[in-house]
This record gives sequence, structure tokens and C-alpha cells, in this order.
Amino acid sequence: MSIALDTPRAATRQRLATPGQIVLASAIALFLALFLVVPVVTVVYVAFTEKGSGAFTLINFADFARTDLFITSFWNSMYVSLMTVALASVFALPLAYLTTRFEFRGAGVIQALGFVPLIMPPFAGAIAMQLLFGRNGSINLLLDDAFGFKIPFMEGLNGVIFTQAVHFFPFILINLSTSLRNIDRSMEEAAQNLGSQGFRLFRRIVFPLAMPGYIAGASLVFVKVFDDLATPLLLNVKDMLAPQAYLRITSIGIADPMGYVISVVLIVVSVAAIGLSAWTMRGRDYATVQRGGGGLAQRKLKPWESAIAYGVVVLILVLVLAPHVGLFLLSIATVWSFSELPDGYTFAHYARVFVESGVFIKNTLLYASLAGLIDVVLGVAIAYLVLRTRLPGRQWLDWTASAALAIPGVVLGIGYLRTFYGVKLPDGTSLASFWIIIVLALAIRRLPYALRSCYAALQQVAPALEEAAESLGATKYRTVRRIVVPLMMGGILAGFVTSFATAAVELSATLMLVQNTSDAPLAYGLYVFMQSPAGRGPGAALGIIAVLLVAVCTLLSNWVIERNQSKRSGK
Amino acid sequence: MTVMAQRETTSVLPPTGIGPKTAGIEIRNVNLSYGTNHVLKNVSLSIKPGEFFAFLGPSGCGKTTLLRLIAGFNQADTGEVLLGNEDIARLPPWKRDVGMVFQSYALWPHMTVARNVAFGLEERKVPRAVIAEKVKAALGLVGLENLAGRYPSQLSGGQQQRVAVARTIAVEPKVLLLDEPLSNLDAKMRVQVRRELRDLQRRLGLTTVFVTHDQEEANSICDRIAVMNDGTIQQVGTPMELYERPASLFVANFLGTANILDGAVSGSGDARVFEVAGGGSVEVPAVAVIPAGAKLVFRPQHVRLKAPGEAGLSGQILNREFLGANVRYGVRLGVSEVLVEAAFESAAGLRAIGDTVSMAIAPERAAFLAH
Amino acid sequence: MGYRGLRALFVVASLLLPTIAHAQAPAGKLTVLTSFSKDVTDPFKKAFEAAHPGTTVEIQNRNTNAGIKFLEETKSANQVDIFWASAPDAFEVLKAKKLLQPFKPKATGIPEKIGAYPINEKDGFFSGFAASGYGIMWNERYVKANKLPEPKEWQDLAKPAYFDHVSIAAPSRSGTTHLTIETILQGEGWDKGWRTIKELSGNFRNVLERSFGVPDAVNSGQVGYGIVIDFFAFSAQASGFPVKFVYPSVTTIVPANVGLIANAPNKMAGEAFIEYLLSPAGQEVLLDKSIRRLPVRPETYAKAPADYPNPFKDPSLGGKVTFNSEVSEQRTAVVDTLFDQLITFQLDGLKAATKAIHEADAALAKKDNADGRAKLKQARDLIAAMPVTETQAASPELRAVFTGAKEKSARQAETEQQWASAAKTAYAEAKGKADEAAKLAK
Repeated sequence: MSIALDTPRAATRQRLATPGQIVLASAIALFLALFLVVPVVTVVYVAFTEKGSGAFTLINFADFARTDLFITSFWNSMYVSLMTVALASVFALPLAYLTTRFEFRGAGVIQALGFVPLIMPPFAGAIAMQLLFGRNGSINLLLDDAFGFKIPFMEGLNGVIFTQAVHFFPFILINLSTSLRNIDRSMEEAAQNLGSQGFRLFRRIVFPLAMPGYIAGASLVFVKVFDDLATPLLLNVKDMLAPQAYLRITSIGIADPMGYVISVVLIVVSVAAIGLSAWTMRGRDYATVQRGGGGLAQRKLKPWESAIAYGVVVLILVLVLAPHVGLFLLSIATVWSFSELPDGYTFAHYARVFVESGVFIKNTLLYASLAGLIDVVLGVAIAYLVLRTRLPGRQWLDWTASAALAIPGVVLGIGYLRTFYGVKLPDGTSLASFWIIIVLALAIRRLPYALRSCYAALQQVAPALEEAAESLGATKYRTVRRIVVPLMMGGILAGFVTSFATAAVELSATLMLVQNTSDAPLAYGLYVFMQSPAGRGPGAALGIIAVLLVAVCTLLSNWVIERNQSKRSGK
Repeated sequence: MTVMAQRETTSVLPPTGIGPKTAGIEIRNVNLSYGTNHVLKNVSLSIKPGEFFAFLGPSGCGKTTLLRLIAGFNQADTGEVLLGNEDIARLPPWKRDVGMVFQSYALWPHMTVARNVAFGLEERKVPRAVIAEKVKAALGLVGLENLAGRYPSQLSGGQQQRVAVARTIAVEPKVLLLDEPLSNLDAKMRVQVRRELRDLQRRLGLTTVFVTHDQEEANSICDRIAVMNDGTIQQVGTPMELYERPASLFVANFLGTANILDGAVSGSGDARVFEVAGGGSVEVPAVAVIPAGAKLVFRPQHVRLKAPGEAGLSGQILNREFLGANVRYGVRLGVSEVLVEAAFESAAGLRAIGDTVSMAIAPERAAFLAH
Repeated sequence: MGYRGLRALFVVASLLLPTIAHAQAPAGKLTVLTSFSKDVTDPFKKAFEAAHPGTTVEIQNRNTNAGIKFLEETKSANQVDIFWASAPDAFEVLKAKKLLQPFKPKATGIPEKIGAYPINEKDGFFSGFAASGYGIMWNERYVKANKLPEPKEWQDLAKPAYFDHVSIAAPSRSGTTHLTIETILQGEGWDKGWRTIKELSGNFRNVLERSFGVPDAVNSGQVGYGIVIDFFAFSAQASGFPVKFVYPSVTTIVPANVGLIANAPNKMAGEAFIEYLLSPAGQEVLLDKSIRRLPVRPETYAKAPADYPNPFKDPSLGGKVTFNSEVSEQRTAVVDTLFDQLITFQLDGLKAATKAIHEADAALAKKDNADGRAKLKQARDLIAAMPVTETQAASPELRAVFTGAKEKSARQAETEQQWASAAKTAYAEAKGKADEAAKLAK
């Protein structure tokens, strides 16, 4: 009965994990190994082999460091990513602050609209931005007519920064808003009581308290921009790392390891950025300690403040929704060329895509929702294992899953073909041509988003709530089902929506894996249309359909979250 | 399995509607460390069935760790935890049949009061009709039948606390653990709720362990108290025993107010005296055992002020506090200050600040403690 | 979706997977991997399915590079019957990788050559089914707003007026652009050819990564002029965009090809598809206004609109250069990489030098100066200088650099870095010389 004193501590110590947890962790590890690590390694191992002999070497990395183009690309990528974070913060901060900490009419609408830029189909965003802000876009043509000058919004790196900030700023907005909502009124009141007000109050108290959310969002933006290849390429910026990797990997007849070397660099930088943000925020998660029972403070704005605030909000919204406006105009335009607005309007493009879009919509909904589902299941499981168990190596699950952020879609796509094409299904066809593979690729690519949401949600569940259930006789599993998951539901749904919405417009991995038009999602259809002059209108129309589709699903799940929460607070 | 079987047999409803099958707790040689931090040091303890027991100590003394150890949220590195005759040290929390009320109450915000209370019974697969009955009974016990449909966020702090208790006793645990259950309540509520807890415990006859840092709470409702400090149990006893015969300087100081004076014993046999470091001496009762390096410990109310010049310790009054029924003087003795408490009779009888007085300590009430 | 629902989906999905028929007449599913847009594939799909009832054409749309990568990765269990794309060099790559199988179409009446380019591959691994010519496309509104001239010849684009107004696709990314570059090199010789190419390139606004990016940018008015393949311009015109197109007198006629994949699961339908493309009926589909490619059957032109270019009648269409595809194939990677390292990734330096040369030229035209002329010539020569001779470009040593991990040789990144830094220095020096020349003219 009693345990001998000399038994090694590790053994007598509180059990590290229940058998169920070990099985769960192993299953997740297997899944990640099978659908992330192995496919990626089969592709990038070339980076570590010597030309001719295939022996292990780091010489390729020395080549990387010696090549001016790559070094320039590296610093350009850094610069663009950091500037994007800065510009995205300029967009996100006022929206988040005004809609959460003040009595602000239309806060819900603004928050919902603030999510929309994330849902931008491939190609569409950059094309619309060029039409509006490009050298000969609407704005510059107007400026040139009226004042005789142009603003180079879209020239070179500027264009990438601008487009990426518009596209990705919702990550900061969403995370920052969540943090701001969690700041107890008493924190602000204490500062006001001590004489702080206005911007100083924001700078010294509110923003530092909201820092965890800001850092989470900012690091996500940094990594996404650092790893994104589509936007720079569409804006014809090639001297950045991700486009360089893509160009190298996909050029005909060139079998050079540098593309994979760059991929490895991308992965390392991304994981480091996420690690750094986690490290900076160690012990600074204030959300749980600052509950003073005061609840959320929503201050009133004075009329003139209100006027400025609405002005700022409207300006930002106009700017960040411009691509969607441009896309919509394109979808109803007859011809739009070197002019402020299209020459004429028509609904013919919608009519053209109407027949074909049915199967695309069905596929998109199926793939994106399955991917979202897989992501939240994995997200909850990984978050639980990391935050609530002492399983050795549990952090690795988190790191591995997060590393998916940094894997270029095309690398994952090629890896999937290489790994699964030889695997035969019972009817003789290849596993890689089965649509489930597309779902898995989407799920892996979007897992980091859902994971972060679930992580944050679980951090906000007090452990005592689980202990209470356990002491009342609920096993770990029952506790998770009846207490943890219901309490995380808001975060889970938010994670699902982010995964779903972004997966619905994903193309880079999909393009490699779609083998049947009947299996293709909307983004693929859009790509096919966008390859010909006559297809621009219909492509834009498909893009608008995709955006509307995702927006409706998002609003729907938002409504579910709200209903859930209002029930809980009993209002 | 045995746990389940016992529960089945207790489902006959006694008058309260809740009939726990209570058991005592035996803790033997428990050690627990977090890394190099030795949180519990060879703790042994015995709690009798039906007893209302308190772990009392300053924050960080290990009292909550010990409570969570009983509940199963912490596991000992070594040692045994017995509930009744069963060693539960290796059982997970959900197999222990130990009810716990959390400091934060830990009510689930997504469930109504009734669902919160029903939770444990549902987990035990009790038939629905029985659950409804027991939920009603448990809420009845804490006087909240009419709030069954509310969500926790719609309740006051006191109501939440009662729901937490109802939720725990509804499953008829063998023991009830309370982790600082009163700390989130205002002063008035605290007094009321602690009485309710005491009454409830009496009615149910349920072994209850109560963790607190507030000696008044512990003294007022508990049968026995274990005073803890720095991961060890300093002394176990009834509140009166602890107060009257503290076993250590820590207990003497932690419970109530105590004067502690340095000094040394001189003489031998019946003629021993304790020479106080600041001057003067105190007789030592013949039976007293005085360990080496012992200090003189006594309560303020066990000192009498006498006219200057009379036998005793001589000092000067530094300050005076009027407490209503009593007056407390601070008297300088050498480098230390001795607190003296006297019954208040009239303003005319008070000593003035600056007066020189002589203090007589009742030897039989004094203790000599080395640590 | 619950587990049961998911399993039901699996079952349905596996039932829907088509069974492969082995009948005598072409039937079943034909999988075509293509880089052509919907505008091209849809009419052919419809026409072929009508001509062969019982077949369904499954179009997999990927760009040429991704298509090759896909075939390579999936060869162990190939599911594709036909590869259908423009660039002949892409087919050469597939052939070299043994991903194609030979098939000699029975169709007769197709000449050996269109322009200077052989229509069919000599071993029958792929067949030309249409041709397209390269030329210059421009946006009329853009040209009018910027008061720019209308070009006629390639050389026009090297003039100062066009500075920063021209776009092209990178030859490493666009097989057809590669052919245009290769045609210039073969037509003018290695050194002179590169000089021409670099003079043009100095006026580029940008070098795009996708073939379609060029017409797209011209259509929307982001750039004025694009070096594009004709059908991009024709289909843009057909869609109503205000664009014009001209074939320069020295142009290439590039065949678009179709080939049968090795181990094609539905070989019979694949062969039927190729036969159909080459048949009179199939050739007529090419005249469709959203396709607008040049048929390889001379008689089909009789049915074409009046202004339809006819390479069999008009000798200026690609007749002047004899294209040697073996030479081209040997140095493909070298030429593409040279273009990328000397032009695409050094465009800023090249443009700065070109701008300085344009300015010096203008200054000297006003006030001539022999020293200035000499400096300007030095500047031009610096830009034109090549790090690699024609012989080196085709040498096994240099080719090995680009062949991956098979043999031990210099690493690609090393070689590229050498070329790039040489070009960077040369362009900076050229700019210095041109600036000096301009000063002398003051």
C-alpha cells in the first residue's frame, strides 16, 4: 500500500498522464507526422543534401548566405512583415479600442465587417487593389486629373505592405478585441482615479493589459506575411523569400535545392517568431487575474470625440473593404481598363458562373467545414494536452502544429503527392486523388488558426471548474465533454470560423491536389476563370459568391456565439 | 465499485433528504515537493468521522495543498491518505467520493443552478426521478429552492456559495472539503454563512475539513484545528487547547495575541526563576519543564498592573488603547514592549501614558517555549 | 457531420469513382491536363464529347510548370491521358523524363512546318495542333493618355519613349516567352541577340511571373505595352478591352502541342482526342473568337474571318528564322537563368543604366561630342556583355549545374551569384559611363 521512500521520484510523483491522454497525444502526433511532417520532410530534405553525392551537408545554407539575391530577399521579407504589422496595427487599434471600450453604435457591425478582409479569394485581392490603388488605378487617375500627381501606393514593397495589411489586419483586430473585452473596469477606473486619462490612459494601462492579444495577433500577421507568396507574386515583387522559394520550386527543368533551403529558412523564422511572441508573453496573461467583478467598462464619448471616432472608423473601413468593393465592381463590369470606373455594368458574369458554381459551392462548403471541424477537434485536444496535462513533450504538438503556418502551400501539395500518390485505395485509385486529401491539406494549413483560438479559450477556463467536476465524480473525459468544451464553445466557434473562412478561399495547396473539376472548390474555379481576359468578370463573380458564402456562414456562427453567451449571462 | 455500492444503499432519504455516509480521514507521513520546493513535510494527521476540522495557517503554509491532496488534485510523493479504511492516495479525484467546495465556488456558468447541483448525480448515473428529488433536497438545505432555474451569474456571492455547497453535498460524499469558502463574502455575510455551514454540518454529521487563514473563523465553528506553518503541522487541538496551551511560539503568536520575552532560567529545584532579558524575573512553577533557550510566553490578559515598586517586572506605559470592555496598555520592558489587557471599569481607574508600573504575570498561565 | 454521415459520404464517393472501360470505341473518362483557359478548353470539350458519345472529358487546369511537376510526382500511378499546352519545351522536358508515349496521328494534310518551326516532334512524342505568333499588345487608353507612339517592331520598344511602359513574362516561367527569347538568340546570334534583349529589357516596367499576367496588366491599364502571344490580345479584344496588337516583322510562330502520357489509363480516348484536334472539324474550333489560334491545316483558313493572320500565306509570320529545337533544348536552363539573373532580378540596376543612356543620347543629339559618344558606346557594351559564351552555354559543364543532384558539379546558387554580381557591377559602371557622357555633352 505505501510507497517505498527510495522509489525514484518520477515514478511516485503524480502520474504524468492518464492512459487516455497518452493515446490521444499519440494519435495527434501520428496525424501530424503523417499529414504534416512526413510530406514536408520528403520535400525539404533536399536542402540538406550535397549535390552529386546526396550526402548530408549544410553547404546549401552557406550558398544561401552568400547569394545577394537571397539576402536582399530575406531583409525585404523582414521589412515587409514588420511594416505590415505596423500598418495593420494602425487599422486594427482604433477599431478594436473604440468598439470594445466605448459605447459605440454599430460596434457589432464594425467587428463583423472587420473580419471580412480575411475572406479574400486568391488573385482577386491584388487585382482589385491594382484597379483601385495601382499606378493607373481609380484613385491615381482621379488624383492625376485633379492635381497632376500620383501616389505610389502599390509600387514595389509598398504595394505588398498595403495589400497584406488590408488582408491580414483582422488577425490583430480579433485578438486585440478579445483582450480588450477582458480588461476589468476597475483597471481603468483605478488609473482614472490616479489622474490618468485620454491617450495616456490607453497607452499606460489599457494597451499593456491588452498586450497578450495584440502580440498573438501581430505574430500571426508577421508569420503569414513572411510566408505568403501569392500577394508579392501577383504584385510582381519577386525579391522576397517566399516568392523566391516558389519560383525555384516550380520552374521547369530546374532541380535546385535552393527552393527547399528557402523553405527551411521560412519554417525556422516562422517558428522562431511564434516562439518569441510566446516567450515575451510568459507570465503576462492577465486575463485570469484581473477579474474584479466590475465587468466591462464602456465609456461614453463626447460629441466631438464621437465625430472624430466615426470619421476614423469609416475611413479605415472604406480602406480595408476597398478590395471587396473593387471585386464587386469588377464582377458587374463590362470592361474596366485604364478608367476610374468600369465602362458599363452587367450581370452576365453571374449568369455565366451560375450553372457551374453549384458544384464548387458544394465542394467548398464540404471541404472547408470538414477542415474546420478537424482543426477545432485537434485544436481543443492539443490545447488541452498542453495546458492541462504534464505529458512530457506535449509542447512539441503545439510547435509542430504551429509550424504548419510556415509551410508554403505548394511544398505541402507536392509533399502530399509524393507521400500519398503511391497509396492505393481498394478500388485501385490513388489516395492522393481522393478529395479527402484536399480536406486534410486544408485542415493542416489552417490548424494554427484554430489552435490559437482554442488555446486562448482554454486559458480562460479556470481549472477549478474542472476540478469541481472531477471531485463530483466526472472522469477527465466526462469533464472535458460536459464542462471544458461547453465553456470553450465561443473560442471553438471562433477558431472554426477562422479556419473555415480562410480554407474556403485557399488555393496554393489545393491547386496541386485537385484532380477532378467535380472535386474542385470555388477558389480553383476562380483560378481557372482568371486565366483569360473573358474570365475576369466571371472570376470576380465567383469571388463575390465565395465571399458572400463565407460571410453568411460567419455571421451565422457569430449569431450562435452571441446567443450562447447572452444565455449564460442571463440577459 | 465498492463506492457505487455504498451509494446505492444510502439512497434512502433521511429527514434532510441527503444522507452522506461519512468517514474519517487518516494522513500518514505525507511528503510533497514541487521541484526543490518541499511543500508538505512528513505530515501525519487523523480526522475523526463527523468532525468539523480546520487547517489553519498563514498563506503558503501548505494547508490548501494538503486539502487538494485529500481531494486528489495533488498526489503525494510518499505517504498514505486513508478515507475510512481505504487508501485513496492513488485514486483519481472522481473515484474518491470526497466533496470539495472551491474558494471561487467554481460554478459552471453555462449551467443553471439546478443543472450544477444535478451534475454529480448525473455522473453517478442516478435515475432521473431521484436526481430531481435530491437536487430539490440539497437546494432546500441551503434555502435556494426558488432559484433553481437561474444561471450562476444571476446570483449574489452568498447565493453562489450556497449553490456550491449544495452541489457538493448532493452527491452525499464521505467528507466535505471547504477551501476558504468565506473569503469572497463581505463581513456580515461571512458570519451568517459560517453559522449556516456549522448547522448544516451538524445536521448531516458529515466529516468536514475547512481551510482558512482566519483564526476567528476556525475558532468559531471548528471542533479541532491543525495549525500549519511551512509545510508542517505545528499543533492539533481544540480551539481552546491551542489558545491555552500553544505547543510552539508560532502557534502562540498566530492564535490571538501573545507576549514573548527572552531570558534565562536561574536557580534550581523549587526555586527556579526566569530572568527576563529587560530586567526583572518571574517565578517558575515547580512542574514546569523548560527546554533550553526557552522564551517566556503569556497572554496580555494574564498580566496584572500593580503600583510601582511592588514585586514584578517594572516598566513604563508607552501607549493605551480603549477596546470597550477592556483597556490594552503597551508597557516598555527593556527593549521590548509587553501588552497588558485589563478590564475597563471607569475612566478614573486608568493608568496614564508615561506612568511607571509594575507587572505581575500569573505563573501558572505562562508557558516556556523554545521554538 | 457525425461519423455515420461521413462514412456515408465515403461510400458514395467511392461508388462515384468511375470504372475504366476497355471497349473498342473510345469511351469513358478522358483526363486532360492543360494550361489552357476555360475559353479554350470548353469548346473543345463540348465538340469532342459530341463527336464521341460515351466519352467525358475531365479537364485538370494547372499552369505548365505545375502540370509537369504533377505528372512527375504522380507517375507511379498516372491518371492523366493527355498533356495539352503551348510551350514545346515543356513537352521536351516531359519527353526527357519519359512521361510521354509516342503516337503518330493518322490525320493527313498537315504540312511539316508552320513558319520556321516544325509542327510535329520528330519521334512522334507530341504533335502541334495550332500555332500562335508573338507580338506587341498595347492598351489604347494608356497610350493615348501618356501620348505614346504605336510600335511596329521589337526594336521600337528599345526607344526612350517606351521607358518604363513595357511588360514581359519571365522566360523561366513562360515557355512561350522562352521561345521568343530563343528565337531572337538564334536569329541574331548569341551576343547580338542578348544585346537586343537587354536593350529592350532596359525599358521594361517589370518582368512578370505568369504568362497571363502580361495581358492582364495591359488589359487593366497597369502597363502600356506587353510582349505577348497573339491569342491573349485577340481574346482580350473579343472581350471588349481597348487593346491593339501587332506582329513585328521578325516574329516567331509557336506551335501549341498535345501529347499522350505514358501509361495513359484511357489510351484509346486519348488517341481519339489528338486525332480530333487535328481533324478539319477540330481545327475549325480554333477559329472560335474566344480561342483565336492559328490552325495547322492550311485549308481551315478559308473559313476564317477576313483579317485572320495566315502563316501559310504571309511569309513575315515567322518565316525569317529557322528554329533549331535541339540547340534550344540544350541550353534552356542556361538561357532562362541568365535572363533571370541578368534582367529579372537586376531590373532596377539595368533600368537606371538604360535611363542614363537615354538621357545621354538625348543630350548628345543636341550637342554632339566624340568623347561622349565613345563613353556611351562603352556604357552600351558594358550592358551587353555576357558572362557566358554561346559555346559555354551549351557545354556539359554548365548544363550539369542545372541538372539537380545526379552529378557532382558547381552548385546552381554559386553560379547564379557570380552572374548576378557581374551584372550588378557592369550595370553600375554603365550608368557611370552614361552619366559622364551626358556631362560631356553639356
